[in-house]
Amino acid sequence: MFVYLQPMLDVPIYGRIATLELFRPHGEAQVLLFITTEKYKFCVLQWDPEAFKVVTRAMGDVSDRMGCRPAYSGQICVIDPDFRLIGLHLYEESFKVIPFDNQGQLMETINIRLKELQVLDIKFLYGGTKPTIVVLYQDDKDARHLKTYEVNLKDEDFVEGPWSRNNLVGGPNLLIPVPPPLCGVLILGEKRLVYCGASASISSRISHSITRTYGRVDCDSSLYLLGDHNGLLRLLMITHEKEKVTALKIENLGTTSIASTISCLNDAFVYIGSSYGDSQDRVAVQGIKGMWSLRSATNDFYDTTLVYSFINETCVLKMNLENELKQTETAGFCLEAQTLYCHNAVYNQLLQVTSNSVRLVSSTSKELQHEWFAPVGFSLNIATANATQVLLATGGGHLLYLEIGDRVLTEVMQTQLEYDISCLDINPIGQNSNHSHIAVVGTWNDISVRIFSLPELNLMTKEHLGGEIIPRSVLLCAFEGVSYLLCALGDGHLLNFVLNMDTGELTDRKKVSLGTQHITLCTFSSKNATYVFAASERATVIYSSNKKLLYSNVILKEASHVCPFNPEAFPDSLAIAREGELAICTIDDIQKLHIRSISLGEHAHCICHQEQTRTFAMCTIKYSWCKSIYLENHSVQLMDDQTFQFIHTFVLENHEHAYSIVSCSFSGDTRVCYCVGTAYVRPDEEFPTEGQILVFTVVDIQLALLAVERTKGIVYSLKAFNGKLLAAIDQRIELYKFVIRENNGHELHSECGHDCHTLTLCILTRGDFIIVGNLRESISLFIYKDGAIKEQARDYNVNWMSAVEILNDDIYLGAEKHFNLFTVRKNSKGATNEEHDRLEVAGKYHLGEIVNRFQHRSLVMHFPDSEVEQIPTVIFGTVNGAIGLIASLPSGKISKNMPLFQISSICVPILKWYSEAASSRKLKKKKKIALLTRVLE
Amino acid sequence: MWKEIGDREFGKLRPNLFSNRIKSSRIASLQLSNHKEIVSSHRGSINSLQVDLTEGRYLLAGAADASVAVYDIQRATDHEGDGLIAKHRSLFVVDKQHEHGHRYAISSATWYPIDTGLFVTGSYDHHINVWDTNTTQVVMNFKMPGKVYRTAMSSLATSHMLIAAGTEDVQVRLCDIASGAFAHTLSGHRDGVMSVEWSTSSEWVLITGGCDGAIRFWDIRRAGCFRVLDQSYSQLGRRPPLQTRSTANKVAITKSSSTAQSSSVKSRSLQRKNTNGNSLKHAGLNRYSAQVKGSMKQRLHPGMLSTQDRATAHYGAIIGLKSTGDGMYLLSAGSDSRLRLWDTESGCNTLVNFEITRLQTSKPIQLATTQDSAIVFVPCMTTTKAFDMWSGKTMLNFRGHYENVSCCWYSAQDQELYTGGNDRQILVWSPANSTTGEVDEWRKGQAAALDQDNWSD
Repeated sequence: MFVYLQPMLDVPIYGRIATLELFRPHGEAQVLLFITTEKYKFCVLQWDPEAFKVVTRAMGDVSDRMGCRPAYSGQICVIDPDFRLIGLHLYEESFKVIPFDNQGQLMETINIRLKELQVLDIKFLYGGTKPTIVVLYQDDKDARHLKTYEVNLKDEDFVEGPWSRNNLVGGPNLLIPVPPPLCGVLILGEKRLVYCGASASISSRISHSITRTYGRVDCDSSLYLLGDHNGLLRLLMITHEKEKVTALKIENLGTTSIASTISCLNDAFVYIGSSYGDSQDRVAVQGIKGMWSLRSATNDFYDTTLVYSFINETCVLKMNLENELKQTETAGFCLEAQTLYCHNAVYNQLLQVTSNSVRLVSSTSKELQHEWFAPVGFSLNIATANATQVLLATGGGHLLYLEIGDRVLTEVMQTQLEYDISCLDINPIGQNSNHSHIAVVGTWNDISVRIFSLPELNLMTKEHLGGEIIPRSVLLCAFEGVSYLLCALGDGHLLNFVLNMDTGELTDRKKVSLGTQHITLCTFSSKNATYVFAASERATVIYSSNKKLLYSNVILKEASHVCPFNPEAFPDSLAIAREGELAICTIDDIQKLHIRSISLGEHAHCICHQEQTRTFAMCTIKYSWCKSIYLENHSVQLMDDQTFQFIHTFVLENHEHAYSIVSCSFSGDTRVCYCVGTAYVRPDEEFPTEGQILVFTVVDIQLALLAVERTKGIVYSLKAFNGKLLAAIDQRIELYKFVIRENNGHELHSECGHDCHTLTLCILTRGDFIIVGNLRESISLFIYKDGAIKEQARDYNVNWMSAVEILNDDIYLGAEKHFNLFTVRKNSKGATNEEHDRLEVAGKYHLGEIVNRFQHRSLVMHFPDSEVEQIPTVIFGTVNGAIGLIASLPSGKISKNMPLFQISSICVPILKWYSEAASSRKLKKKKKIALLTRVLE
Repeated sequence: MWKEIGDREFGKLRPNLFSNRIKSSRIASLQLSNHKEIVSSHRGSINSLQVDLTEGRYLLAGAADASVAVYDIQRATDHEGDGLIAKHRSLFVVDKQHEHGHRYAISSATWYPIDTGLFVTGSYDHHINVWDTNTTQVVMNFKMPGKVYRTAMSSLATSHMLIAAGTEDVQVRLCDIASGAFAHTLSGHRDGVMSVEWSTSSEWVLITGGCDGAIRFWDIRRAGCFRVLDQSYSQLGRRPPLQTRSTANKVAITKSSSTAQSSSVKSRSLQRKNTNGNSLKHAGLNRYSAQVKGSMKQRLHPGMLSTQDRATAHYGAIIGLKSTGDGMYLLSAGSDSRLRLWDTESGCNTLVNFEITRLQTSKPIQLATTQDSAIVFVPCMTTTKAFDMWSGKTMLNFRGHYENVSCCWYSAQDQELYTGGNDRQILVWSPANSTTGEVDEWRKGQAAALDQDNWSD
């Protein structure tokens, strides 16, 4: 079965959504959606199925007057299961209640004082005669307790609830209310799982995991899916006898992207929303042996049916009107056996080849028209077909040729080869698109491909491939009018020949390596061009440009089987089967933003490119569990910038964490160096007091350590500065010279420094100017003059910075914690000292994302003459994994003298958290950027 | 701090929580600043300190020598010690030499809450002056019936511009800047009023503390005070106790606690019911207006003799008042050397025991709280102490003044504390950080260690 989640409608909400809850008030046929935003606005939305749009039922403000402190663990919204009221925990010490009246309308809000300070979770209990909340909170001594309160609407106050539990152990952090008949609550902790009811409680120990979210599997109260911080998906089962819980069972289901939400769509499907990785909606299908697409009629343009085969079973999926793939019965098909081949045949017929017969089925009535049985004692091993012809291979090297007529299959020719046959193809590439006059056969023992003429089955050419690896897939194809024979070997090599269609002669033999495992070939077309998809552990698309075959990697990693699938809803798609799942993909325009992920198996923290040595260096962290102790191993890795292969790893010392990396060269030294800033995070110290700056150079594609300098504090940022190295160390900026010692060694020598009093998060340099992004004091400008660093100007606003970049000599860009971007301008022409000293805010932009890094780069390829080239752009990457572009538009275009700043193209989720079975995390980072079609506005 | 930065980058920590954690770790490391100094221009004890509420940049100080000065706390005027110590000299001083300057000690100096264009000073010469900051001229003057102890303006007010003034006189006066006249006199105290504080959740509510030991709540739209705090009327914990759910539970409570306690629970819940029963529907956290309408107000009308009207919050004078940022609690300091935390909704003493040994009694003191109301800063004789608001435990001691400290101001923006004392100094307490000097020393130490290694070879 296959499900495809399709976006139906985009509804913009002007705010950051903090909570989202569904509810159905009394007398309402439809479920409504309650939303609150981080600015304390709320709305109730209803779906109008006729107008196909969302209708706002109610909206308003739930903010309290100034002075209130936002809730400790973010906003919490809970809705009474009997729909008597909505409860909101927005501010500390306050529980806001929005009651429903008898018609299900919202009434005026009531505030109730909540005693608990650090509220971790609030839920409504099921089955109370009065609405009852259960509160999980932490006290001053970090002990966690559970309390229940009844909401008394008449007195607008709480009444002591039916029960409470003090001093819960095992770090509870999430509550799940259990529906009737149990009416209790499940308390999920890191190590312990407790069911608590009014009368009894039952607990069970679980392996360490922090549950982040849950989803109820069914209306029954006993099954829950739990998603944890490592992406582990678990099933929790409550066994109970009437109202008494007897046991709690937990079962590991597997790993997904780290789940932020889990919703069970119906009995069979679960939607896992993830803010760290891809949201998933794939279907688990084990062991697909082959896959084909079919049309309803021979001359239809679009495909409607997908057939896939297991070792002893065949499934047929048909696209229905809602663009869903549903399993269907096709009477004429044999579904109890493995299908070897399937194809649309002429006269509105479908062809199915199983191991003992070839079946011809009407594509309209779905009835069997004719069946041809394999010779007694032989079973069919390999089959291929086109619209009018079928070629079959059985054991012992027998080759059988059948032709398809109207409701009849006729055996035309038969021959025997000296060896067993490994692969076949009769893809029509000649004049007639339904008929091929040559067939290609690959054989086992002599490792050769042979070209036969059809229908005579006369051997035209025999080409020995050499080596010991047998051909596993052959394909006839034509690109730009040239016919090729592609032959994929079992070891991931691909041979291609130019084929003379008349003589069957093979010339221009070429061999490329596409991977290490066997490849399956198929052709597909997209935008009227022919492509060949080579499915293997590194999927590749083969196409031709200027009569040259080109190979292009696809983002997709593994693919065991693939077939073109061209339904009306998503034309030019490919159905791809891989280990345990089936996905429908489209091939993007190949000249688009091209992203390739390289699996590090570790979490990359910072990265830098060195043009001279053609390498990337990155600081990585490897997380591991060793005897219930959490371990972090930090290292510096060197990667080739062409092949993206790791060349060398420099492992940092115990407890040494890398924080920054830069590529620079020092004056008086010809080498280019990588400088890495680190800190010693020792378990016995409250905060790191020591760090190091390591200077590496790349010698024989290895990182060679040139110099080490100890620092007092964490090296947060490093920058090359006029042949010297500038470092931001805790609250200081420090300038280092590179000097050669007497014994030919090298060392960094501190030249001067400056105290910034708050943490210097990032530094940037331009000429003699230094721009510093402070943790909470916005942007400061320094100048290096006469061997000293002096503060020249600063922005006096309080901005908690996350990243800074220089746009030009006078304008600097900053990103701060309230999801804003802003620019400040140096006021060098200011009349008074005060004006000189101040960086004036020039522009503001609400981005809605926290920016982690800025980088002066362009997403567009350099076209020397284009206007776009002239526009300086800055790329940013955010915490949520978006990448965006900021362009400083030239002054003449919009205003006379101020570069406006504008976001032009936003958000390709690239930085993703991902989880693996080994629970090691990796940050997929750094991309190969080819071309973005969208041009700056 | 380093850990939080990593967590924020990975999206594990929400930005507000991130800054709150860093702020609290900075507060915990407050110490006498090693890089910032305010050069006091005063020749008398500092009585009042306030940083402006708009930019968080200008510190206004009023002193006993009748001088008032403004300091830029962001931008230093000059540097000392190789540029390591930033000196902040006053931007201007107004003293007795000024033609309209006060003649006697300034007890209170506050900024106009909306911008830095105006500030207000109250003095022992019976006058309140309103000054234009840019021209340093008096733009308005109020003659009071006695020495002015404290002036206050509401930072919330959008519909009035009133200066509340506590003086030697028993009446609290509201001076209207808009009209230049007294808008109100609030009668009720039986002695002079040393402290006045506007509520931080309603622009109409004023809280005053008198030398008679009473703390009175006023709704300035109505006559008379609507609440007098009573030190014996108490609750344990942060909110008044809940009604018990059923008789079964009630029995359990009675069993577990003494009979005296359980009876107090009953009476209080009864009283709560009473006030709630008469109140109208209202939203918002504060219920002042409701209580004014309720039956309490009738009983507490100043004309009526009532035991509640004679209630005291402290034994002795109230010398300092401070509302928490969310307006839900009130801190009061008394000349009985006690600090009390009140629940402003129920009017109960929360019985938090602050570990105070002695407070100065002769003058009002100025308290300060952090933004999240977790910590209160209290001048205790020559030291300033930081207490945990909810446990009353001493968290930090700030020793630096040679004589009694009378005022402190906490800058939420920079996490810095400013204290002023009778020794005429304004001290800056800032989060600890290592300075260049320390780094150099550390480097020398490292080098020495290396040398020693070489020696032993």
